[in-house]
Formats: sequence, C-alpha cells, structure tokens
Amino acid sequence: MTEAPLPLAGLRVLDISSFIAAPAAAVVLGDWGADVIKVEGPDGDPNRRIMHDSSNYPKGAVNYPWHMDSRNKRSIVLDLKKPDARAALDRLIAISDVLICNFPPLVRDRLKLGYDDVKRVNPKLVYASLTGYGEAGPDRDRPGFDATAYFARSGLLDAQRYEGGPPGVPVPAQGDRATAMALVSAILMGLMQCMKTGEGSWVGTSLLGNGLWSCGVVAQAALVGAYLPHRSPPDRPRSALGNIYRTSDDRWLQLTIVREDKMWPGVCATIGRPELANDPRFSTVADRRKRSAELAAILSEAFAQKDYEHWRQTMAGHGITFGVISRPQDVPDDQQAVASGAVVETAIPEMPRTLANPIRLGFAEQQVARPAPALGQHSDEVLAEAGLSPDEIAALHKSGAVP
Amino acid sequence: MSELPLSGLPLSGLVVLDVSSFIAAPAAAVALADFGADVIKIEPPHEGDPHRNSYRNASYPPSDKNFPWQLDGRLKRSLALDLKNDSARPVLERLIERADVMIVNFPPPARERLKLCWEDIEPINPRLVYCSLTGYGETGPDRDRPGFDVTAYFGRSGILDAARYEDGPPGLSLPAQGDRATAMTLVAAILLGLRQRDRTGKGCWVGTSLYANGVWANGTSAAGALVGAHLPPRQSPDKPRNALTNLYRTKDDRWLQLLLVRDDRLWPVLCKAIERPDLLADPRFTERADRRTRALELVAELMPVFAARTYAEWEATFAGTGIPFGVIGRLADVVEDEQADHAGIFADTTNPEVPRTVNNPIRLGFAQPRKAGPPPAVGQHSEEILREAGFAASEIDALKKSGALG
Repeated sequence: MTEAPLPLAGLRVLDISSFIAAPAAAVVLGDWGADVIKVEGPDGDPNRRIMHDSSNYPKGAVNYPWHMDSRNKRSIVLDLKKPDARAALDRLIAISDVLICNFPPLVRDRLKLGYDDVKRVNPKLVYASLTGYGEAGPDRDRPGFDATAYFARSGLLDAQRYEGGPPGVPVPAQGDRATAMALVSAILMGLMQCMKTGEGSWVGTSLLGNGLWSCGVVAQAALVGAYLPHRSPPDRPRSALGNIYRTSDDRWLQLTIVREDKMWPGVCATIGRPELANDPRFSTVADRRKRSAELAAILSEAFAQKDYEHWRQTMAGHGITFGVISRPQDVPDDQQAVASGAVVETAIPEMPRTLANPIRLGFAEQQVARPAPALGQHSDEVLAEAGLSPDEIAALHKSGAVP
Repeated sequence: MSELPLSGLPLSGLVVLDVSSFIAAPAAAVALADFGADVIKIEPPHEGDPHRNSYRNASYPPSDKNFPWQLDGRLKRSLALDLKNDSARPVLERLIERADVMIVNFPPPARERLKLCWEDIEPINPRLVYCSLTGYGETGPDRDRPGFDVTAYFGRSGILDAARYEDGPPGLSLPAQGDRATAMTLVAAILLGLRQRDRTGKGCWVGTSLYANGVWANGTSAAGALVGAHLPPRQSPDKPRNALTNLYRTKDDRWLQLLLVRDDRLWPVLCKAIERPDLLADPRFTERADRRTRALELVAELMPVFAARTYAEWEATFAGTGIPFGVIGRLADVVEDEQADHAGIFADTTNPEVPRTVNNPIRLGFAQPRKAGPPPAVGQHSEEILREAGFAASEIDALKKSGALG
C-alpha cells in the first residue's frame, strides 16, 4: 500500500464525508501515508460531479477537483440505509484508527454514526467531526458550506468589500481547504492522545470557527468594539502611490512606493509624464495625498495604455517597487511554486501535475498522487481486508447494501 | 508554570520556543499553548516582536486596546534576548537543549547569519522538532524574499485575482487572514514531527510557506489552471446570470443572498411575498427559461424591491414561505451570534482590557483550550525562564549587564 518511511503509514482512515473540507483533510493524511478508505453512498460523493454542477467552477476536460480531493483513496460503496451495510461498516470501523464524518448532526443520529455509537464498536478510534456551524446551538443541524458558513456568516465577505460595493467573493472551496488543515491538526492531537492513554476520542472543527479564526484580527477587534472602514475603491484611494492599477491586458499592478518623496520623479518618468514631477499640484507628499483621486485618474489612464510586461520592465528600469496580482493560470508556471514544492508531478496520466498539501517534512516526501478511485472500485478488496468472507460479500451485493 | 492546571491538556509538558515574529508562526504557537504547551516567546529586548505595535497600523481596525497582541501573544511567556549579542547564544542553546519544539520564521539569510538553521540546531538537540515558516519556500528564486500574507498568500497565489467581479478590481483580504489559516498547517506539521520523534527518538525539520498555503486554499482554481481550465469571472449583482440566485442590497445596506434554486416551484411564492403579483402575470417572466434569458430585466425589477425594506423586514416577510435566503454577516453581528457561542468560537479571558478573544478552531472531546490571561510584556519572564534552565543569579546579572538579556 504505502512506503514505510511515511509518517502515517499503517494508519487506516475511513473518510465517510462528502464535498471538500473533510475529504481534503483525508487527502492530507493520505499524502503522508495513511490508507484512506472513502465510504460513499450508491450515488457517490456529489463532489464527483461538482465541476459540472457548479457554475463557479472552471470547466476542464479532466475531473480535476475530484482527483484533487480523492487522490490516493480507495472507494467502497455502502448503502448505509440498509441494516446489513451498517453492520459491514462496523467491521471496517473495528479495524480503523480514524473516522472522518461531516453529516449534519441529524443525519448522524439517523445513521447511528455519532461518536457514542461508534465508540462502542472501537474504543480506540479517533472520531473527527466537521460541521458547518458547530455541534450545538440553533444552527447545528444546518448544512454548512464554505461560502455560507466560513465566508458569509463569519463577516468575512462583508469586510472584504470596497466602500459602496457589493460583498467580496470567495474562490471555490477556499475556506474548505483552509479548514482541512485545522481538521488534520485536530486528528493528530487525537492520535497523540491515543498514544498516551490508549483511548480513542472525539475531535472536530467547524467551517464557521475556521472562518472566524482566519479573520481573527478583525474579529478580535470587533470584540473590543473596533471596526475597519471598508476599503476605498481604486479610483478614490487614500494614496494614489499605494494603489492598484489595471494594465491594457487586464492585469493589476500593486504600486507600493514606500519612499515616495524620493521615488516620485521616477514614477513620473515611468509613465512617460516627466513634467508631473514639477507640477505644483503634486509637489509634496501632502499635496499628493490631498489630490489622490486626481492623481489616481492620471495614473490609471497611463497604466491602461500598455501591457503588464511593458510596465514590469519599465518600472524595474526606474527602480520602482510594485507587486503583481497573479492570476490562477500564472501559478502552474511560476518557478517558485515548483521550487517550493507547491506544484508537484502525479502518476495520473490525464492530469500530470497537481498541488501538494502545504505541510513539508524533512524526513518524508508526500505520496505521489494516483488517480482518484471510481465509485466502489475497491469495495470487495476493502471488505475482504475487514475479514468478510466471499459469501458475506456476495450477500451484501445481493441485498443492495454494496451495489 | 506550575500554578496553571495543565495536567489534563494534550500538550502539557511540551516546551516550545517561539523565535518568530508577526502572525502566522506566532499564531501556531498560540494554538499549541491553548492545548497546554509551555510557550516561551524569544523577542528582542526593549521593542520586542514588532507585532506588539500592529494595532497602530492603518490597515487595522482603530483601537487604543492592543487586541492583536492579546490574540497572538496569549498564554506565552516572554524572554527578551538579543540574538545578535554573542553572550546570548549560550543562553539560547541551553533553552534549545530543554525544548521539544522551536518555531522560526526569519527569512533564510537572517537564519544563516544568526546560525538558526536546522543544521545549526540539530547538534544541540537532536530530539528537537524544528519548525520553519517562510514566505515563499526554502528553495527557489524567491526563497530569501520576506513574505507577507497579502503578497505571498493572497497576491501571488492568484486568490485576489480570482476573487473579483467581472471588470472589477481584485478582491480584498483582511489583515492576517492568510497568516492565521497558515498557522493551522504549521500546527499539523509540528504534530507530525512530534509523532515522528516519539516513534523514532529523532527530531526533525518541518515547515510550510505562506505561498504554498495560498495555493492550497486556491487549490480548486489552481488545479483547474494545471489542466488549462479557467474560472469564469463572477457577474456583479446588477448583472447576474440568474436574478433569482443573486445578491440584493436592502434598505439598511445589508446584502441579502436570494437562493431561489427551485424557481419552477417558488416563483409564484416569491411574487406573492414581495407583493408583486404583476410580475407573476408579466408575460416576460412566465417560464423558467424566460426568467433566465431576461435576467437583466428581472434584476432591474427586483433591485428596487429589495432596497425598499430592511433585512429584518425581509426576514419577517420570508419567514415560513420556504424561500431560501441568507444574509452576508457583519462582524458586529457575529460577536453577538448565539451560534458562535455554541460553537465555542469566542472565549473569555482573564484580561479586563480584552475580556473576550477568538478561540482556536480545533475542538477536542477530551480537553478544553486554556483560558488566556493578559499577554506578556517584553521580557516579563526572562529571569524565571533562565532560572528554570539552571542559570545562577550571577549569570543572569551578567547577561543583563551585557545587554544580551532584557
């Protein structure tokens, strides 16, 4: 299955979860050598189809989100509404170290998949729970998604907007993937506790909790009654020399002129308007701040004339510091992304490169990503490992518990 | 330390040296302290971690209370040590000998100068878990570049470009938003390192970078980009593809998210609820397909409707109708959110100046995070920590005299 030097080799993880945050935590465990068994219903994890179902996903010829969130997993299909499927699941629980579950609490109760139910089957199990809004309270049963629980409810989207503009927009699964790392940490603490005490435990996290943790600075400020004013839009910046500008090829440059008294003539030369350096409207820092909208209009007209590559070279020539707002399509070819191990090669012919999880260890490399499993691809194999006889497995197929 | 009730916590007994500044790396140390680790923050004498002054930063919510330091300095003890002073080195080494984890976020050239690379440290304590945070990774053309959350996590990873409306400016990130998400990765890396140490008896290097975490968070779009698939730009709320799953501004400047996915069933219910029977009768919008093709005409009808009432009024209007909708939360409401209380998102402190704080998001059935007191003053625990490490009073005096110890 896995190579010996990986730190989680020998660990068996049942991923009874769907969509992204919880399955992504299982991916990270798999990257480090765990044997991850994905337990799916007869229709499969809806994340298998999300690229087609969601209008907010880039469409590709390859089912890249599914590969990304299911790499190195094995798939078993169990129809948990059937009693014999539930009994088969108990056999798997009995031989597992970690169970990851993200059903809303009501569904868990119905399926008898709460911690108290599974603890009886395996008292050494680390049970990892992901919810949208936590395990108690008025919204505990509400299905939570990244956009609603992590971003909208936490106040992130409201705070991430320009003055007078609409709320910010998250990128797909952004909060889910950040949350996955908290869930991994929680699971590792549970495993540590098990090494110490020999006992299993419940661990977990919520999307809302992670959203608020990530915006902890402004949330902590709100707790003492301090609020951030909304950012002024780029045409009305507080400082025109610390502002963003669009280039002719629709890229954005972040001007970050720290020593503006010294750099101002260079900025004027860069945009081909050297006479501005002597323009009395803009001669001091205070003048430029006072007339920042007027100056921003001049700069934005100038930057819109030429493309990003032109400005990169011209500004470097004048010693002007700037940052670029990369596009997602720039990342794959970013030398630094490859050098730092963020973009890695796979053993998936149709998707030769993918993204490593962000954890780096000096003593082990992440497993190379193999193709995500077809639905139920490993059902029989996994059941046999749990000690089910060929007759028992055949009976499960017959009853429809394992389609 | 002995007065703190740490025995039941999973990380009690673990000694962590936090030789880092600002937010991502120190926030990982906070999460370890929350669960019982003894975190010693090593800071330059006098000024300390520059993050002690972040609350004066113009991009932070204005307050005379040092709320960010409460958040990122909680439950730590402060040792003021001037690492540039030669007599500080033996002190640091004696602390390293006794530590389980050391967290470092100097850019690589500063680490080399200070002899704080893993290769320098491993001979001192081969059982140590050495945890590195960088902006852009340990190798490559930008390894030496200081990385910040907004540049390395958000700008470089493509998040800000992707998080925008069609034709609009790039999205915005909040102070330390990516730093704090990255902290959870560092915690996971450290725990993997400790597991390895407990199994093999050997310490190790573990780490992460802000850039890698940004790319991971943007993983769906980045994975799409790797196969040549690109995200269509998001339509702004006045130009939606579907006017019935869209954002609307209310009279009180809240944003209501209408999610009428089943408009085949709920279109008449909506028209009734908003008291616009004329829209139901309007031949332009009869069929579902009509409502999609004429999304711009429909949004022009609906925007003034939603703008005429407050969010609370809409909540009352839609109650019991089965119309799915939600609100874009504001932080002002979140701090009073009953659900946030139930989810254990905020926690009380014993610091009267900042009585509530943001809990770390990890929940354990077998232990509760520690309650935080005030964060330490620079060097508040210098002498205590050195005494624990076996320094004599005369040695401590000499270090103070030399300026190595603050």
